[in-house]
Amino acid sequence: MKRNSALRIINRHIIICVVLAGTLLPLFSGSLAIAADEYNCLMCHKHRYSGRIDENGKRWNYHVDESIYNQSVHRKIECRDCHTYITKIPHDPVTEAVNCANQCHIKPPFAQEKFSHQKIIDLFNQSAHGIKATDSEELKQAKPYCKFCHQNPMYSRISEDRVAYGETLQRCSNCHPESGVIQAYIHMTHRLRKKTSRSSPEIVELCAKCHQDAALMKKLKVSATALDAVETYNQSIHGKLVRLGSQKAANCVSCHASSGLHDINKKDDERATIYKENLMKTCQQCHERPTNWFAGIAVHPKAKHRESRAVFFMSIFLRLSLYGAVLSMVGLMLFETFGRRREGIKLVLRNGTTWRGKSKPRSKKGK
Amino acid sequence: MSTSSEMTSKPVTMPGGKQVLEDEYFTYVEGVGSIPRDIYKHLKSDPLGDLPRYSVHIVIQHLLIFITFLLLVFTGLPIYFSDVFWAPVVVSFFGGIDTARLIHRIAGFAMMFAAAYHIITIVAGTIHKLLNHEFDYKRTQIPRLKDLYDLIHDLKYFLGIEPYRPKMEKFMYKQKLHYLAIIWGSLVLIAAGSALLFPDIMAKVIPGTLGKLLPQGAIGEESYAAFFQALARLMHADEAVMALIVVAFWHWTNVHFVPGRFPVQWAFLTGRITREHQIEEHFLEYLNNLREIPEEREYMRNLLVELEIESAQEVPLPDRQTFLAQQETAEPEDNP
Repeated sequence: MKRNSALRIINRHIIICVVLAGTLLPLFSGSLAIAADEYNCLMCHKHRYSGRIDENGKRWNYHVDESIYNQSVHRKIECRDCHTYITKIPHDPVTEAVNCANQCHIKPPFAQEKFSHQKIIDLFNQSAHGIKATDSEELKQAKPYCKFCHQNPMYSRISEDRVAYGETLQRCSNCHPESGVIQAYIHMTHRLRKKTSRSSPEIVELCAKCHQDAALMKKLKVSATALDAVETYNQSIHGKLVRLGSQKAANCVSCHASSGLHDINKKDDERATIYKENLMKTCQQCHERPTNWFAGIAVHPKAKHRESRAVFFMSIFLRLSLYGAVLSMVGLMLFETFGRRREGIKLVLRNGTTWRGKSKPRSKKGK
Repeated sequence: MSTSSEMTSKPVTMPGGKQVLEDEYFTYVEGVGSIPRDIYKHLKSDPLGDLPRYSVHIVIQHLLIFITFLLLVFTGLPIYFSDVFWAPVVVSFFGGIDTARLIHRIAGFAMMFAAAYHIITIVAGTIHKLLNHEFDYKRTQIPRLKDLYDLIHDLKYFLGIEPYRPKMEKFMYKQKLHYLAIIWGSLVLIAAGSALLFPDIMAKVIPGTLGKLLPQGAIGEESYAAFFQALARLMHADEAVMALIVVAFWHWTNVHFVPGRFPVQWAFLTGRITREHQIEEHFLEYLNNLREIPEEREYMRNLLVELEIESAQEVPLPDRQTFLAQQETAEPEDNP
């Protein structure tokens, strides 16, 4: 009897274990992400090294790595939602670029229309980076477009501090209709809890790609402050902290764009976040009590102190006093050691004295 | 208090063959005898220190400054030199730059606390001494003209012109210089650091007041707030780098690595100075020690007899009671 009940308990344990393993293991064995690929484009495009070299010698890579694409933001979008010009398989040589303003077949929650990036593209086109009719041909060429910055890479999960709830919702309305957006909030991915999906150093790097190119900037006739903006930013406390991995310090976009992120404007434009009247509000994002005076402090400090005479002379004075103090003090110390060594001092105090092997002091004669 | 009373002074030949006046070579201390200037070469010292130099408060303040200084350097320097390879490494030791900045601020306030503690110690100690009629400005850090003469004298000694080192007080010229440098550096670093930490408050306070003192056009087209912020950025970093270089290349070397102090001078923990160091560099303070510490008086008396500079018969060693009685009667004359 005893053995039987023991066996029964063991059996029951085994059954529970198997059931638990059967239910829990699939749950924790990684996400089973599957990309939307109704037309089986990957049948051909899954092959590594598939591509060609065109007439101009340019290399084209046709490979799409499913495991990477599965985890990108566009994983639920059909290939043909963006590549609309493809109407048959096998398709003709591609001559058209992707248009991000296309409506794709994803319907956002609580929305009647299909999703599109049109709203943000409109915002971008109005910004300093948007192509204007009055722009010179060179400027038109140099201005960035969607794909210049957004290559749809798998951004690594960034650890920027969580932003406030209100700000997040504000960013939702960049793309989505406002009605029902709060209910939709629970559907957010982690990406939308941050102002940008790139980390701060990545943003600086991205902006620097063009703005640090002095030859290009000179050709486009930007202002003197804009010419060395990256350099001066990197010397500022914000730039230094971002470089060292700060989660709090401001990157380019923190100050130069609102929650819309694409509305970067010149500082004499009324819509710009760095327009005189808006400056205080921009500082307020991080600094609690900005004043007019505070807003006047140089965020992009001048690379050379020469531009302010008093600061320049102060820096020279400090440099001189540094060299003067160190050289004279170390010199005196070396001189002192030289003099004392000659008098017979040893390095280490041993057996109660550092002056070993000295002759007796003179006694006071006639006392 | 009681130096040689002899009016005539005969020349004494030093081991190097130099002639020294007997009065300058010997210092007569009542109850001890005539102490030769180079006695520090012939006595026994404890590496941990024989004579009191720093009170426990000063030792604690020094330790506080020591710890906070290192913390400030390691958390502040990577920000100034943010583009060098070791900056992110050092920062990662503190758990990222945001934590490092927090530590920097806390350490800054701790250092300011140590400075305040020091000021309180100094002021209270001075008041206490004044009330007891013990205060002697010569034993403080107050600079005197004598320090300049001492420096010249010392340089001559190092060159071999003078036969012995100057008779210096508790704090010699280089210690006074360093103390002044610390006062200046602390003021600059605290002022500039506060301006960086509270730019908004600084922007409110400074433009109306200090800005008016500057000559027209000295700061260019910027606002005063922007100008002083630029100045604070410059001064905080430059002054800090200067402090670090002075501490690393001079203070530590000068205190621990020169002959006689190597490998460690324990005064920063024990608060005590070795006998030979005290007599060599702070002879006048040693005379104060002789006055204040009977044990030291006995030691020096016995040493002089042992070295046959004084004979045991000529100057009998007074017992402690009679000596103390003499001291008490002599007191009012010294401090009128």
